[in-house]
Amino acid sequence: MTSGTLIREARLRAGLSQVELSERSGKDRAQIARWERDVVQPSFETLRELVRACGFDLEAALVPYQADKKHDARLQKTLQRSPQERLQTMLKARGG
Amino acid sequence: MPDAFDPIAVMQALDRQRVTYIVIGGLGRVIHGSDELTHGLDIVPSTREENLRRLGLALDELNAQRPKGARPDLQRDLGREPVLELLTDAGELTIVPEPAGTRGYDDLRRAANREPLGHGVRPWVASIGDHTRMLAALNREQDLVPLRTLRRLIELERELSRGLSIDR
Repeated sequence: MTSGTLIREARLRAGLSQVELSERSGKDRAQIARWERDVVQPSFETLRELVRACGFDLEAALVPYQADKKHDARLQKTLQRSPQERLQTMLKARGG
Repeated sequence: MPDAFDPIAVMQALDRQRVTYIVIGGLGRVIHGSDELTHGLDIVPSTREENLRRLGLALDELNAQRPKGARPDLQRDLGREPVLELLTDAGELTIVPEPAGTRGYDDLRRAANREPLGHGVRPWVASIGDHTRMLAALNREQDLVPLRTLRRLIELERELSRGLSIDR
């Protein structure tokens, strides 16, 4: 998950427009748009402020993590296919 | 009802009747790159009266039935149930006027993209961000894996667009 998707998800779950989030958080609307598109990344503190302005909190905790390289490789492969190829691949796999 | 699943045939029927809809759910996630298997097509139709009339015609064409065999009545059924599950000659079709965490068609349409799927079918598909939003709002244990996959896809797509990790 990226900071941009997190901000957008929080904003939309709160039913807010970017303008409304800008008013609530005191951050510039255009900057919020750039953060949501992941053009630039906010600091952790700013990310938390934005999420809180949407009525949620951001709980940071250290949890064990191990990259699933096989799964990543599968996903990277599907990303290189067209939507049509992704659909056909799934239908073929489903058919056995 | 056969165990067929031909989403292209369902979408072609919807297109023939000029139904306005957005693809969501498992098939939408597959179109975005998820490696899951899915057995039905989930759509969010525009709930404007004329569109529901057209959707009704498409459902007739597809020989759509409720799980207990009754013919669907969109006006009645969608007023009573948040999700309408149907069996058609081309597989399962689920109609979801207002998916969890969204405000329905107009909300999802803003970030949706038309995706070419072959045979002239180019449906609007909800954005990957909106798919994530819908799954997160459902807050179901069964969705944790697809949710994690979607979030990882978003990261990989970002890396791909920046040319960081994938040699093409």
